Amino acid sequence: MNSGKVAQEQSNSWNKFVEFINKLGFNPLGLALLIIIAVLPTTTPYFQQEYIVRWMIMGAFLAAQSIAFDFTSGYINIVNFGFAALLGVGAYASGIFANTTPFIAVAPGLNPWITIWLGAIVAGLVGFALGILTLRLRGIFAAVMAWFLGIALMGLVNNWTALTRGPLGMNPRKFLETTNNLPYFYIIFTMMIGIYITLKLVTRSHYGLAFKAIGQNLDAARASGINPIRYLVFNFTLSAFFAGFLGGFYAHYFGSLTPSTLMHTSKTVEILAIAYIGGRGSLWGGIAVAFPFVFLIELLRTNFSDLPGLHLVIYGVLMIVIMIYYPGGLAGFYDWIKSKVQRK
Amino acid sequence: MAKNSSARPLMSRIKDNLPIVVISIFSLILFVAIYIEGGNAQIFNTIITGGMWALLAVGLALVFGVMNIPHFAHGESFMIGAYVAYFTFTPMQEYLYTNPNKFLSAIAPLGAILTAGVAGAILGIIIEQLIFAPLRRRTKKDWIMNAFLLTVGISFVLSNGANLVLGPNFRGISRYWDVKAVEIGGAYMSVDRLIAFAISMVTIGALWFFLRRTRVGRAIRAVSQDETGAQLVGINLNFIQTLTFSLATAMASISGASLLFLFQAYPTVGGTPLYYAWYVVMMAGLGNVVGAIIGGFIVALLQTATQLFVAVSWTTVLPTVVMILVLLIAPSGIFGSEVKGVQEQ
Amino acid sequence: MLELKNINAGYDFLQVLWDVSFRVDEGELVALIGPNGAGKSTTLRTIAGLIKLKSGEILFNEKVINDKPTHLISQMGISYVSEKLNLFTGMSVRENLILGAYAIRDKEVQLETLAYIFELFPRLEERKDQLAGTMSGGERKMLAIARGMMSKPQLMLVDEPSLGLQPNLTQDVFSALIQLRERGVTVLLVEQNVNATLSFSDRAYVLEQGKIVMEGPSKEIKANKHVRNAYLGI
Ligand SMILES: Nc1ncnc2c1ncn2[C@@H]1O[C@H](COP(=O)(O)OP(=O)(O)O)[C@@H](O)[C@H]1O
Ligand SMILES: [Mg+2]
Repeated sequence: MNSGKVAQEQSNSWNKFVEFINKLGFNPLGLALLIIIAVLPTTTPYFQQEYIVRWMIMGAFLAAQSIAFDFTSGYINIVNFGFAALLGVGAYASGIFANTTPFIAVAPGLNPWITIWLGAIVAGLVGFALGILTLRLRGIFAAVMAWFLGIALMGLVNNWTALTRGPLGMNPRKFLETTNNLPYFYIIFTMMIGIYITLKLVTRSHYGLAFKAIGQNLDAARASGINPIRYLVFNFTLSAFFAGFLGGFYAHYFGSLTPSTLMHTSKTVEILAIAYIGGRGSLWGGIAVAFPFVFLIELLRTNFSDLPGLHLVIYGVLMIVIMIYYPGGLAGFYDWIKSKVQRK
Repeated sequence: MAKNSSARPLMSRIKDNLPIVVISIFSLILFVAIYIEGGNAQIFNTIITGGMWALLAVGLALVFGVMNIPHFAHGESFMIGAYVAYFTFTPMQEYLYTNPNKFLSAIAPLGAILTAGVAGAILGIIIEQLIFAPLRRRTKKDWIMNAFLLTVGISFVLSNGANLVLGPNFRGISRYWDVKAVEIGGAYMSVDRLIAFAISMVTIGALWFFLRRTRVGRAIRAVSQDETGAQLVGINLNFIQTLTFSLATAMASISGASLLFLFQAYPTVGGTPLYYAWYVVMMAGLGNVVGAIIGGFIVALLQTATQLFVAVSWTTVLPTVVMILVLLIAPSGIFGSEVKGVQEQ
Repeated sequence: MLELKNINAGYDFLQVLWDVSFRVDEGELVALIGPNGAGKSTTLRTIAGLIKLKSGEILFNEKVINDKPTHLISQMGISYVSEKLNLFTGMSVRENLILGAYAIRDKEVQLETLAYIFELFPRLEERKDQLAGTMSGGERKMLAIARGMMSKPQLMLVDEPSLGLQPNLTQDVFSALIQLRERGVTVLLVEQNVNATLSFSDRAYVLEQGKIVMEGPSKEIKANKHVRNAYLGI
């Protein structure tokens, strides 16, 4: 009898726990997987190897980007084709502030831990402008406008050599003096979780409903009293802010920036593929896809080094097949399984 | 009084067509400025570039107008055309080097460009049947966005596929026709450029004739205006759509082939043409074929002016600013877009 | 000529037609009447192949047609004039008509039919170079019916041709349909104007909530008490 009570109490606190993490956008399975990812590099020898840690960093970096990307494309249904350029703006801004800090000209500049926020703010402002510009444009026009703006931003970075050194590239200082990658993994992992929780909370609020309404039918949304201007601009700004924030990480982790490796449209396409294979409008789908993906791709790259770009072709084919036959992506598949299980 | 009544409609007509009026004046100013700064040479250069962008943009406009596909892999059709022309032309060139023959030398480039066109047409059929036909059968919901994303995927696969199979190196020719440049009004134009321009004009003209004067061409226009109506009069939608996509791909391939001496063939060569073609259709109005032709020349003016008065490296920045201004005044392009689907989107 | 056997059909998750069966014989003018939303247009769309069946069979001249795409059904001799008209609004009247004869490759036959149509609808000849999109509602209706006739169909499905027309234009449209029958074209007509329709059609079916509830010669249907109450307001 006593043990029954304990069990009940346990299940009670378990329910409370599930409810709590649910509020933050997790379910027990997802949280468990994330914890496993987080502890792998400290416990398992395979994952302690330097290059594997680098892959893990890449996985978290791509996953975090896909969350910020999906926040726009999966909700208000506008593909932000200038996403990589916004990330680049954040990276350059943060790098420049950290190295030279123009206008106030203090060398060696501000602390990267501060400039990463400044970079995010600069990118957010550009995102704000993009939001305003695309307001009157619909669907595909907005996507193409974002693409053009991205190309223009890349052109700007290429040409503003006094600040960016243009195509030669610049070398922002690193976050840490250490050559060990592991701390960087925890930085980007924390950023990824932070971005996920923030954006999940936003989409769970009335903002999320408004986003979806706007994404499905702008006119109907407007007719039902939603002011699309506010939501569209807010969405673009926030997504761009996080893109710039991640750009700052890139700048102070790699310590090397060139416009074409960072801001090119093909970089946006990579993120787009991850977000869509993960499942649009889920936010979490990209995380689930990014990690295995990086490993798959890196293994392909090392084992078939005589076939350069094989991984990208596979990537693209997978994306096409999923878009034609399984537009819900991984998240859609998960929901389907869940509904099957629940029915039983 | 009579004067008054005729003046009023004119004013209101100008007002109704404000974007067109503004752009016409703007283009005229650019034209004059280019002429003063660069003379005949730059004017010819602009016209030839304009023909190039027009040919590419017409394909985009056609695919959007008839199939509602915002085609992001158009640049890869250009790339395929360039490769096919390279791989058919260089062996012929080698052969002619050892066995000189004037007639064959004159005609070999045309053969290569034609081959590229045929290859493009076949590629178009394959892509349409393999990718868009299944999507069409599965769902037409959210079609424009889904189709757009698919073309992004196609572009990614084709350019990386080319890199995988052929490597990243540039394959180019110095010229198709080994003859002296022609002097026109004090400016020297290479025969390659003149012929490339002629090809783009002939191709656009042929398309125009086909759409206006033939039974199947009329059916293509019918599909672009009312898909259901077209089916109801007995038009096979699947056939028309495959044909349209194939035509557009072939046109881009012809373009890539006839410009091989200028762009060369490499996996990502399609990027610049894609950008300009999109630039043109965004500015002119998505799906507006006539607008695409005029738009091609306007964009070439902008491009030349930027190169002349600012710097080559700014050609992606300044025109984009202009484009943003245009879209702010006219969200669906200067010449407007009455294509179904755009409004509903 | 046309036979529907136990048709079940609808849109995505909404079933509209329930076990609908009827037939139209050669040379007849058959009316399909019923309240708004009953599924009359859906029935015609299903016959034209624009909607796939859930179950049932549609026969045209003893051949199964429900597995065929719309353009083949059209080419077999069924012409559907939809309530939306589906005209090519950016093309001239003449081009619309020529497209109506898309399946007829013989230029001479095309031109003969065109001449006949212009005789039947002189107004269209006057306007032959005008864009279809700039014509008045009545003229568009005429054009849609005329375009439907251009393919020399054996069977015409006409959806609410009188909708939104002034009475005198309605009269013109109806007499055009009667002329069609005189030329040996079979017609299946959906109409809101029940009284007039029942006075010139041969037979009629009443469709309510997706089910055929009544059928018979138009005279009998017109005399039926339920029909008089519900549709004729008597
Ligand atoms: N495109 C459509 N998608 C979904 N439902 C539809 C569509 N068209 C009609 N319906 C529904 O089907 C039913 C029958 O419509 P319809 O066939 O047009 O009726 P009728 O022509 O008899 O007035 C109605 O309930 C209508 O709401
Ligand atoms: Mg109806």
